[in-house]
Amino acid sequence: MEAPARPILVALGSEARSLRLLQAALRLARERSAPWIAVHVETSGTGLPEDREQVEVWLQEAQRLGAELRIVQAPTLAQGLSELTRSTRAQVLLLGRSRDRWPWARVGHSTADELQRRGLDAHLEVMDDRAGVTSSEEPPIRLGAMVGALSVLTAASGLAWLVPREGSLALVLPVFLAAVTFIAHRWGQRLAVLASVLSSLIYNFLLETPRFTRTAAHWPNLLFFLATLLATQAVVGLLQRLRNQAREVHRREVHTASLYLLGRALARGRTLEEVATTAAEHIQRVFKVRACLLFPQGEAWRAVPPPSLDPGLPTPGELLPLLDVGERQGDPLEPLTLGSTYCLSLMGTDRSEGVLQILPGATPGLPPETWELLKAFAVQIALALERLRWLEEARRAQVESETERMRSTLLGAIGHDLRTPLAAIHGAAGSLLLPGHVPETARRDLLTMIQDESERLAHLLGNLLDLTRLESGAIAVQKEWQPLEEVIGAALGRLERRQGSLPIRVDLPESFPLVPLDAALIEQVLVNLIANAQQHAPGQEMELRAWSEPGWIHLEVADQGPGIPAEFQERVFGKFFRLPGSGEGGVGLGLAICRAIVAAHGGRIQVRNRPGGGSSFSFALPLDGTPPPLPEVP
Amino acid sequence: MNQPLILIIEDEESLRRFLVPTLISQHYQVLCAATATEGLALARSHNPDLVLLDLGLPDRDGMTVLKELRTWSRKPVLILSARNQERDKVRALDQGADDYLAKPFGAGELLARIRVALRHTHLLDVPEPVLEGGALRIDLAGREVSREGRAIKLTALEYRLLEALARRNGKVATHRQLLADVWGPGGEGNTHYLRIYMAMLRKKLEADPTRPRHFITEPNVGYRLNLEAPRD
Repeated sequence: MEAPARPILVALGSEARSLRLLQAALRLARERSAPWIAVHVETSGTGLPEDREQVEVWLQEAQRLGAELRIVQAPTLAQGLSELTRSTRAQVLLLGRSRDRWPWARVGHSTADELQRRGLDAHLEVMDDRAGVTSSEEPPIRLGAMVGALSVLTAASGLAWLVPREGSLALVLPVFLAAVTFIAHRWGQRLAVLASVLSSLIYNFLLETPRFTRTAAHWPNLLFFLATLLATQAVVGLLQRLRNQAREVHRREVHTASLYLLGRALARGRTLEEVATTAAEHIQRVFKVRACLLFPQGEAWRAVPPPSLDPGLPTPGELLPLLDVGERQGDPLEPLTLGSTYCLSLMGTDRSEGVLQILPGATPGLPPETWELLKAFAVQIALALERLRWLEEARRAQVESETERMRSTLLGAIGHDLRTPLAAIHGAAGSLLLPGHVPETARRDLLTMIQDESERLAHLLGNLLDLTRLESGAIAVQKEWQPLEEVIGAALGRLERRQGSLPIRVDLPESFPLVPLDAALIEQVLVNLIANAQQHAPGQEMELRAWSEPGWIHLEVADQGPGIPAEFQERVFGKFFRLPGSGEGGVGLGLAICRAIVAAHGGRIQVRNRPGGGSSFSFALPLDGTPPPLPEVP
Repeated sequence: MNQPLILIIEDEESLRRFLVPTLISQHYQVLCAATATEGLALARSHNPDLVLLDLGLPDRDGMTVLKELRTWSRKPVLILSARNQERDKVRALDQGADDYLAKPFGAGELLARIRVALRHTHLLDVPEPVLEGGALRIDLAGREVSREGRAIKLTALEYRLLEALARRNGKVATHRQLLADVWGPGGEGNTHYLRIYMAMLRKKLEADPTRPRHFITEPNVGYRLNLEAPRD
C-alpha cells in the first residue's frame, strides 16, 4: 500500500493575500493529491481584535475548501512553522512574503530566512505580495529611463550654465528641482534619487565658482542642494502616494456602490429570469459590456436574457469541465476566453449556479481592476441564484412535509376506518359460517351488518378515490347547461334509493335559469352536504334552497343541528377534519370533496350558523358564458 | 325447464365468487370466463341469453368484446363498470350495450337489471302496448298518457321523448341515443334541449319534479324510465 502523501502546509495571517495562499495551497494539494493543513501561528506580538477576526475568516474559508486547521502558539512565526512542519512531515510550506516596514529588516531577518536557518525538511514556497494598487511598487530602472534622465539633467545643466554666477544657488536650484521632479514623475523615484545626487555633483563641479574644483567652502552649499532635492522628492512621492490612495478609495467607493446597487436589485428578484435580467442590465451599465447568464438545460444552454452571445458555444457537457479547470487552478472565478466572449463560472457556496457570459464592447480586454469588480459581481449573482434555489428547495421541502403529513393522516384514517368495517364483516361472516343453526333474526342482523359495513367501506374508498382524482386533475369538469332541478332530483334520488325518504324541503324558484355545471360532480356536492346535515341532525327537517343573482347562482343546504363553532368553520373543509365529538362514520373527506368540486367550477363554498340554530352550507356557482338558445316551446 | 343462460366475462375472482351463486340461486344458468378470448369463445359455443361484461379485462379491452359480440348477436349485454370508467361506460352503451352496473353494486340491483334486460329481449318482438307503474299509464299504441287516471296532454316532442324512454322501459338510454331518437341525426349536440324537455316531462308527469320517481337521471350518462314500484 502506498503511504499517504505528506501534507501541504500553508501559513495564514490576517492579510488579504491569505486568500491567494489558500488558493495556491488548494491547487497544490489537488495536483499532488495530498492533504493540506492551514496554520495560523499566534506570536506574542500579534493580537489586534480585527486581525484575529480576519484570521478566523481565512481559517473558515480554508476549512470549507477542505483543509485541516491548526493554530499554534510560538514566540516567533518561524519557530512555530518549523516545529509544525517537522511534526506533520509536511512536503511543502507555503508562506506569504511579509512586507516589512524597514528595508534593512528584510535582509537576513525574514521568516523565510529564519526558516532556512532552522533547517527545514520541506520545500519552502514564498509567495509575493501582489495585493492591491495602493502598493507603489517601484519599476526597475531601465536603460531607456537612464538615458532619458541623463538628457533631462544635461538640459537642466545647460540652462543652469546660462545663469549668472553671482547668487547662483538660488537660481540654479529651481532648475534642477524641476528636472528631478520631472524624472521622478516620469521614471520613478529611484532614478530621481540618483538624479538628485548627480545634480548635486554637477552643481558642485560645474556651476559653483570656482568651477571644476572641490573646496571646503563648497560643502554647505552642496549639502543644502542635495538635501533640498531629496526632500522635494520625498514630498513628491508622498503626494503621489496620497493621490494614488485617493484614486483607490474613489475606485473602491464606486465598486462598493455598484455592488450595493446590484445586491439590492438582485434581492428583489423572485424568479431566475428576473435575477438574470437584472444582472445583465447592471453589468451593461457598469462595465459597458453585454452580458447574459447561461443555465445548462440538458445538452443545451438556456440563455437569460436570450439569445446567447455566442451561438457557437460548447455544450454544457464540454464547457462546465473547462470552467472546473479554473477552479482547480485555485480561482474558481478565473474567466475563460471563448472566441470573442468570456465565460465566468457563477460559483455559489457549494456548486456552480450557472455561467456568466460577457461580450466586451469596443475594447477587447478589460483592465485588471475591472475584472476584480466583475468577479465580485459574479459572486453576488451566484449568491442571488443560490438564494432562489434554496427558496425553491425550501418550498419543495415544505410541500413534501405537507404531503408526508397528509400521508400519515391518511394512513391513520385508513388504519381505523377501513379496519373497523372489515373487522365487522369478517366477524359476521365467521359467525354465519359456524356449524349449527343460527336463528333467523340473528342471521338477518349479521347479514344486514355485512351489507351496511361494506357500503360504508365502498363509500369511504369512493371518497378517497374521488378526492385523489379531483386533486390530481384526473377528473375534468365538464360543464353543460342544465336545469338545476335535474341535479337536485338526481341527488335526492340517489340518497332516497339508498336510505328511503328524506325529511328535506326543497325551495327552488319557478323558471330558474339554466346553469353551466358538471351534473355528476354537483350532484356529489349535494349528496355530501345533505348526508352531512343528516348525520349531524338526524331525523330533523333539512332545507335545500336555490336562488340566483346576476352572474351567480346559490345553493344552500341547511340543517337544525348543533351548528359549527366559529373556529372550525374554515377547517371543516380540510381533509380528514372531523368535528370533535362527531361520532362514528365518515373520515372527514366529504366537505373536502365539496370544496374541490366547487373550486373546480370557479365557485366558492362556505358555512355559517343559522340564527335559529343549525348550520347552513352554501355554495355559489358562476353563470359564465351565454346560455344556449332555448327550444321553442309550443 | 328453459332457464336463461348468463355468461359472465369478468377477470376478478372475488366478483365471480359473488355473481355465480347469486345468479344460480335465482335459477339462472351461469357460464364464467376470466378473459376476453375465453368469453368470446364461450359466447360463440353456447349463445347465452345475456352477457355480463367487465370493461377492464386483462387481455383485451371489454369494448372490443362488445363490438365483436354485436357483429352476430342481439342478446342483451350488461356492462360492469368501475368508478374510473365513466366515459367507457357511455361509449359502450352507445355501441350497443343494453345497460350498465357501476361497481360496487348489490344483488338486488343486479337482479333487477337482469330482469329488465331479459324482458326487453321479448319486447323486441312484440312491443308491449301499455306500460303501467305507480300513478303513470303509458299507452304506446293509442298514444295516450295519464297520471292518476287523468289524461295528460303532451307536445309532440315531449311525447317522442317519452316514447324513446318507454321503448327501453327500465333500461338506461344515453343522451346521444335519446337525441338521435327525438331530434333525429345531427341533434346530438343539443344536450340541453334534452334536459329542458325532460324537465317539462317531469313537471307534467312527476308528483314532485325535484324528486323524480319515474324519470331517473343517470349523471353524465342519460336517463332511465322506471315504472317499477320504488324499493323500500
